[in-house]
Amino acid sequence: MFSRFKNRMNTTAPRHRLTQGGLRLSDLRSGEKARILEIGGSEQFRIRLMEMGLLVNDIVEVDKYAPLMDPMELIVKGYHLSLRRMDAEKIAVELIERNE
Amino acid sequence: MSRALTVAVAGNPNCGKTTIFNALTGTRQHVGNWPGVTVERKEGRFVHNEQTYKVIDLPGTYSLSTYSVEELVARDFIVQSEPDIIVNVVDASNLERNLFLTTQLIEIGRPMVIALNMMDMAREKGLEIDTETLGVLLGAPVVPIVGRTGEGIDVLKEKIHRIQAHTSQKARHIDIQYHRDIETQIEAISRVLEQGEVPPINVRWVAVKLLEKDERIWEYLEAFSDKEKLRQTTAEAIHQIEKIYQDTSRAAISHARYGFLRGATQECVRSSTTEPVDYSRKIDKVLTNRLFGLPIFALFMWLMFVLTFDLGAYPMDWIDAGISWLVNSLHGLFPDTMLTSLVVDGMIGGVGAIAVFLPNIFILFFVIAILEDSGYMARMAFIMDRVMHTMGLHGKAFIPLVMGFGCNVPAIMGTRILESRRDRILTTLINPFMSCSARLPVYILVAGAFFPENAGTVIFSMYVLGVVVAIISGKLFSKTVLHGMSKPFVLELPPYQKPKISSLLLHTWERGQVFIRKMGSVILVGSIIVWALGYFPREVQLSQDYVAQSAQVRQEWKSQESVIEQAFHASVEKGKQQYVSAMVPFESSGHYKELVAQRDSLQSQTGTVYQEKLQKVDYTRQAETMSQKWIGKMGKLIEPLVAPLGFTWREGVALVTGFVAKEIVVSTYGVLFGVGADANEENAGILTSLRNSGMTPLIGLGFLVFVLLYTPCLATMAAIRRETGSWGWTTFSVVYSLLLAWILAFGIYQIGSAFQWLS
Repeated sequence: MFSRFKNRMNTTAPRHRLTQGGLRLSDLRSGEKARILEIGGSEQFRIRLMEMGLLVNDIVEVDKYAPLMDPMELIVKGYHLSLRRMDAEKIAVELIERNE
Repeated sequence: MSRALTVAVAGNPNCGKTTIFNALTGTRQHVGNWPGVTVERKEGRFVHNEQTYKVIDLPGTYSLSTYSVEELVARDFIVQSEPDIIVNVVDASNLERNLFLTTQLIEIGRPMVIALNMMDMAREKGLEIDTETLGVLLGAPVVPIVGRTGEGIDVLKEKIHRIQAHTSQKARHIDIQYHRDIETQIEAISRVLEQGEVPPINVRWVAVKLLEKDERIWEYLEAFSDKEKLRQTTAEAIHQIEKIYQDTSRAAISHARYGFLRGATQECVRSSTTEPVDYSRKIDKVLTNRLFGLPIFALFMWLMFVLTFDLGAYPMDWIDAGISWLVNSLHGLFPDTMLTSLVVDGMIGGVGAIAVFLPNIFILFFVIAILEDSGYMARMAFIMDRVMHTMGLHGKAFIPLVMGFGCNVPAIMGTRILESRRDRILTTLINPFMSCSARLPVYILVAGAFFPENAGTVIFSMYVLGVVVAIISGKLFSKTVLHGMSKPFVLELPPYQKPKISSLLLHTWERGQVFIRKMGSVILVGSIIVWALGYFPREVQLSQDYVAQSAQVRQEWKSQESVIEQAFHASVEKGKQQYVSAMVPFESSGHYKELVAQRDSLQSQTGTVYQEKLQKVDYTRQAETMSQKWIGKMGKLIEPLVAPLGFTWREGVALVTGFVAKEIVVSTYGVLFGVGADANEENAGILTSLRNSGMTPLIGLGFLVFVLLYTPCLATMAAIRRETGSWGWTTFSVVYSLLLAWILAFGIYQIGSAFQWLS
């Protein structure tokens, strides 16, 4: 009964460390736009983001944070995605539009 | 007519796949589960040009990797069952991401039609799509569709027909071309595959999957002869790609897929420069607002609760009354045999016990359908994720947990809204700790008996304890038995839509009928067992002759009555002698009337006293009979088990019967204390008996905790079995909750006794 869950545990690939320092997606305030420079984290996470349409070089806008400050809502290519801050921390970005 | 052809409908979540499935098949649908997993499997039929098509609705997925059960189910079906045609539903307003799945479907290589849905929304967004060119680029005909209005469905049927008749011009298989570095490795692996014996049917697809380090792909290669060489070549190929791309091979391939798509969409999609109005964003400015988001969410939850349980209470009462009437009249019609009792008390009574839940369940499913179809469900997850995340759960899991306060059965069935199986199991396992409404009568009884001053506080603390246990258990499970399956939270917030009433009703019915079919069988067996426990053995050895006792009570009653009558007559005679007036007869005098009133009141007082005595004898007989039946013997048998908690065999029996439904604990006490089975939690007799039974407030508290935590009822157990699809998890849940209940009640009794609290 439990084995099928444990099997999956072992397949997790090594984590990809971000090479860039600096700004992370989780640092952005709502209303700010940024370009994705690099996506870190486990392979599963990175593939999942790709499958959901979030790729390097895409432009994301932080629409808002949830009432309890986590997760955050993003707009990518005209549709809305929600990510937890701990996951957004694994995404390096460069700011292209500041929210005054 | 030739054989029915199979059409598999595949697509992303929120792309309108179900709408198109419904539009194709109408109401001729059959809902079941995919074998071995609790993922809904919908099947329907339609006839076009005298050809019957069997349509299978595959689970909505973003990809066909082995990320989730849904993806596995969809992939296995396409690869192993080889449907004749795939209808790939694609959201035109969100083309690039939707086509990611399409690239994988193309690679598997079944004949395919692309249903380009939500054309109206794409137009609103200012997108112009050249469907002809897109079809050529993807190697599959593209049909523009507006699922909500049914526009384009007939064309889709015609294309499906032409594809299978091989008369379509555009259906020619194409390969997704990757970068040269990747293509070289695909070729290397393909060569090994083709040279070995029993090569797979689709060599190129298998080669790509091998490069993606897909674990499950080896299952398709069982018959393949040269596995060792294949393994070596694959490892070498992956190494080469990772060296060139400085990334995992899987990420490199996914990137390449998007590269292909970017090229295709740039050629076919023209976007007007004007920024479209994002209505959903405007609605969300209020609904997920930092300040109003939570109160509005709480309001919706409250409404859902009120609708499900308050509105549902009316039909619930009708069904309850109907069943009681049926049971009573059947008892009147048929002789009192074992068969009558089995059918009427065991089967009708037992199934009636679940039938009362039907209104709740249907209303809940209807509300959930509204939340899902409108798009608010995703927002609920967005708002509550912060809280649920602490338990290792997805934000959506909040809904079934709150519903648990009403009844765990629909709540556990509501775990279907969760996408991952791990989340569903985890939410199902902790759901019984949400104190359901059936437990309340027990709290009122026991708290009322032992904590009359603080009953409210004690009852409230039971609810709090339940939540605390649920949170701790959730954390515990997600770190132990359900570890490692937690997935990154990437949630799409789809645009808001006005739900269609026909689709709401269809969804409600689909889910509700599963409850009727499957739960019926488990409950039926369970109720027959419990009925048998209370029915056998037929002959019981009673310690006293209750028949003689009640005869004696009746005798005494009669003689008492005649004593009163005689005294009355004597008084009348005496009065007559002293009576002087000749104007009015004695029988009309005030004195006589007084005497009559005196006699009547005496008679009625004696009546009450003796009636009570008779009842007492009858209840004592019932209690003793119960203790002699198997169920009573079970109570005695488990007494040593519950003795360390300070419980007696009575608590044992009450807990065993409480397994059928928690509120039965109260009526069991009614029988055991000899005050009758129809006692309710405010019955004074039962309260006094409970206090005088040797139970202390401390034991009472332990008993309350036990009732809160142990397996709620048979129906819940059936729901757990149904939703986890495994007896293993069901047993785990029952054992875990029993152990936990026992340990906590043990702790309360032992520690409390040592410090002489509440004794």
